[in-house]
Amino acid sequence: MDGLMSFLASLSSMATSWTIVDVIWATLLGIIVGMLPGLTATLGVALMTTLTFNLEADRAILILISMYVGAIYGGSRSAILLNIPGTPANAATALDGYPLARAGKAGSAMAIATTGSFFGGMVGMLALAIVAPLLAEVALSFGSYEFFWLAVFGVLVAGQLTSLDDPIKGWIAGFLGLFVAMIGQEGIHGVPRFSYGSTDFAGGIGLLPAMVGAFGLAEILTVMRQEGYEVVRSKVDSVWAGIRQATRYKLTAIRSGLIGTFMGLVPGVGEDMGSWASYAAARQASKNKSEFGKGSIEGLLAAETGNNAAVPGALIPVLTLAIPGSAPAAVLLSAMIIHGIRPGPLIMIENPDFVYSVVAMVFLATMAMAVLGLLLTRPLITVLKVPRERLMPIIFVLCTVGSFAIASRTFDVGVMVFFGVFGFILRELKYPMAPLILGIVLGDILDKSLRRGLVLSDGNLTEFFVRPISLVLWLSALVFILATMPFVRRAVLRILGKPGQKGTDPE
Amino acid sequence: MTPTPMDKKDFVSSLILTVFGIGVMVESARLPRLENQNINPFTVPGLVPGIIGILLVICGLFILIRSTLRGGWRLGISTAGTAKWAKSSAVARSIVTLVLTISYALVLFPLVPFWIATPLFIFSFIVTTEAMANGGWPKPRALLTGLLVAVVAGGLIGYAFQELFFVRLPGG
Repeated sequence: MDGLMSFLASLSSMATSWTIVDVIWATLLGIIVGMLPGLTATLGVALMTTLTFNLEADRAILILISMYVGAIYGGSRSAILLNIPGTPANAATALDGYPLARAGKAGSAMAIATTGSFFGGMVGMLALAIVAPLLAEVALSFGSYEFFWLAVFGVLVAGQLTSLDDPIKGWIAGFLGLFVAMIGQEGIHGVPRFSYGSTDFAGGIGLLPAMVGAFGLAEILTVMRQEGYEVVRSKVDSVWAGIRQATRYKLTAIRSGLIGTFMGLVPGVGEDMGSWASYAAARQASKNKSEFGKGSIEGLLAAETGNNAAVPGALIPVLTLAIPGSAPAAVLLSAMIIHGIRPGPLIMIENPDFVYSVVAMVFLATMAMAVLGLLLTRPLITVLKVPRERLMPIIFVLCTVGSFAIASRTFDVGVMVFFGVFGFILRELKYPMAPLILGIVLGDILDKSLRRGLVLSDGNLTEFFVRPISLVLWLSALVFILATMPFVRRAVLRILGKPGQKGTDPE
Repeated sequence: MTPTPMDKKDFVSSLILTVFGIGVMVESARLPRLENQNINPFTVPGLVPGIIGILLVICGLFILIRSTLRGGWRLGISTAGTAKWAKSSAVARSIVTLVLTISYALVLFPLVPFWIATPLFIFSFIVTTEAMANGGWPKPRALLTGLLVAVVAGGLIGYAFQELFFVRLPGG
């Protein structure tokens, strides 16, 4: 009840005309960013962080959350109309959204996506309001051992789930991210590592320039490499029919919302897996499995509910553990730190109102997303007609100036370029980006926690394995790793007496 | 076994990764151990980077062995194949984008005044990539549109950062 009152108090304190204006323009901009192939939610939030860093904290975070919510939803438009996911989180959306658009039901498809995104956002928001305070309380008992395992768990799980075909590449991306975090002065003795006398390197690699490069320049290079795209030439039917159709699948929406939220909660996994896992579960449970991939309303609804539910889900570990649930959430975490907010286990003691303010921000952004998405169905299609040749140089200028603006260092522009080219090469080699970014975020926590833990236990490693939360975390990480190994899966199936399932192994 | 293009890419990249991992291990071992400061030996600065180096080597070797077993070491580089690759429009677009963006970020942006560097970059990018897409020099109207986009976008971005966000942009 206290939580509800705090939420209502936050909401009423935000009910000013300027707040509403901020939510509307930032969500609309987010939708446009999400729609445009090559511009991801991560890039949108990162660029917006550079544009809002001298605003007051609450206003800046509200704008960033609105951009985040809008972008994850906006990606569904290009998935439906172009068969190109606007953000990686909308890849599953294209499977059924595009066939619906080709069948002359583009309006319905966009309405189903909007309804799903709205519902997902609301389920995730409720989970954020309920789970965040509970998790913060549990996190108060976290010490060095638990934070060490949390960092290890995050890198391994994010690596595995973002690179299901070849988990080792996901782990490598995570380890590379951890290495990047090692560059610069370390946090215990202040010794510069891998700096070679350079004061710029001794200052460390900034997360924002690295992310702007990995998600900006790398994406620009990927988009410019591809052939041009064409908007589907089909009739845009009424959106109301789509809303009616979507509301028939309440169970799918609830299930997808919960799965999406959970995927958001898992460190570094985020919206992409939220969408895919919800889609897979909907297909599994559906009576009309054969329709999936051919224009299934259930499939489209599940994918879009799952990815938008993951947005508030990804904010839960940001607020309570200072560990991001997704790549855009990693930027939000950085933005919070820039604005003097200290996310982590103490947040419910030091700044409990902020948690409920974030819940209210998600609520406002989700409302704005639904209203704008439904009202501007046709006008927003014109955004997709902007030629990439004219859009990409402007985006790159924003990437360059944005990287520079945070600390006024041209070194950061170099970092952005390096991560852009490096990120492009990694993508070509099928290495995922999210674990790399999570590694950069978690590197410092892992480094300090391991060394402090070793000091506390006087080098006794058993301390890392026997504490209850540590035990759960390392066992979970171990199970995740073992689950990727085909011989382990075969052995488990044999033990369960299902040797016949070998052939149906997804790999 | 006939290697796939990814097996060949994996072979080369894992070789680089393994060497890099070894480099990280060596450099971590060379980091100061601060014995003269009498620190707890478990807090030496090179501990975690060293472990990361070991993990990179293990993973690199795993992919190296896997790609070798799949025949990825047979790179099959030929003059004809390289020429065909270099002539593809996708490669040409990637190289042009790379050259233009790097030139702007590392040369024009830090050294030339923003209000000259940025419109120049945007205009060059639009004209070059549109010429490649259309297979010829853009028509006067397209050139004028490109110029307009370049000047307006450059002006707005410069104004926003310098006047609204008080960022002193480099380049004089």
